Amino acid sequence: MQQKDVFYRTWPLRFWNWLDKRYALQEFLHALVDVPIPRSANTLYLGGITLFLFGIQAITGILLSIYYQPTPENAYGSILFIMNDVRFGWLIRSIHAWGANLMIIFCILHLLRVFVQGAYKPPRELTWMAGVLLLMLTLGFGFTGYLLPWDQRAFWATTVGSEIAGAIPLVGQAALNFLRGGPEITALTLSRFFGTHVLVLPVGLALLVAIHLVMVHQQGLADPTEPTGSPDDLLQEGAEGSRVGGSDDH
Amino acid sequence: MTTKNRESENKEQENRLLLPFFPHYLLDEVIAWYVMLGVIVVLASLFPAGLEEQADPFQTPAHIKPEWYFLAVYQELKIVPRTIGVLTPMLGILLLLVLPFIDRNPHKTWRRRPIAVGLGVIVLVAAIVLTVWGWRS
Repeated sequence: MQQKDVFYRTWPLRFWNWLDKRYALQEFLHALVDVPIPRSANTLYLGGITLFLFGIQAITGILLSIYYQPTPENAYGSILFIMNDVRFGWLIRSIHAWGANLMIIFCILHLLRVFVQGAYKPPRELTWMAGVLLLMLTLGFGFTGYLLPWDQRAFWATTVGSEIAGAIPLVGQAALNFLRGGPEITALTLSRFFGTHVLVLPVGLALLVAIHLVMVHQQGLADPTEPTGSPDDLLQEGAEGSRVGGSDDH
Repeated sequence: MTTKNRESENKEQENRLLLPFFPHYLLDEVIAWYVMLGVIVVLASLFPAGLEEQADPFQTPAHIKPEWYFLAVYQELKIVPRTIGVLTPMLGILLLLVLPFIDRNPHKTWRRRPIAVGLGVIVLVAAIVLTVWGWRS
């Protein structure tokens, strides 16, 4: 294994070893990545694509926030500037707009796949609940983001959208005032929608996605085939088996 | 000897049932992402995001609509009394949230879940019909 020795003397590897000695990274990576997937599992890429689109939205959203100005006087003009003057600004904004719609579509398709395959059943109840909340947050992103260009469509779509909240019995008017920051759509509405869109929802969604994924990681993917014994027992055995096998390397 | 054979047999069976997440599953997933990236760039280039006139609170446009994903609720609000109209989707979301605790049927295949799948299809068809209806009205 002379070759290996030479390989281990290269500085990236030595740095990796330095880190590994201190933080047991090898072990951590093994635990993260050594997950057996049942061959009969069929996710149709839907959840993964939803996650990918969230990444696209984060990147394009950060880029848009460099030029966007969240006040009624400047918002519309800053969008015009992004579309006409910023290099590739039109592309970034258009990807953000398409990504928003596609993310909702793929989120719903992912929900339907999990529903049809019965993958929400025990022991995956909490993964499902986190997923439904993620869909709600995604819709919240859509609702708050739609107002930001401050054009006629944005303004009036938000007007009728927030009127729905006003129809809730007892707390309707309070909910409407909370959404709009008063009885009308004003500068206050724009700044609270902006704040929700770029601070509250991203943090909330990122945290929930992390929880959602950790739960999937711990349980493995659901096997949609009907059990001959119990498929969950089989998956459990498989996971344990591979972990024992994996430790042989050390 | 026999135990060793059985062991390797078990291992083989296991390998047939399970697939490593890395790199096999992840690579597959990344290919799908790459395709998605291509699709989204093409869509954004051919159909860029539009922009209407600047918002004017004193000039109500002729056709006001919320975004497509709120159209079903918007249309439903138009055709039923307001209170029922707003409480129905809220109740629906709540039921969706606790679905795993309501649906006690242990079967996974849709053929053996007639009630759950039947209700699911009804809700989906209703949502699509309301969305299209709201779109065209």
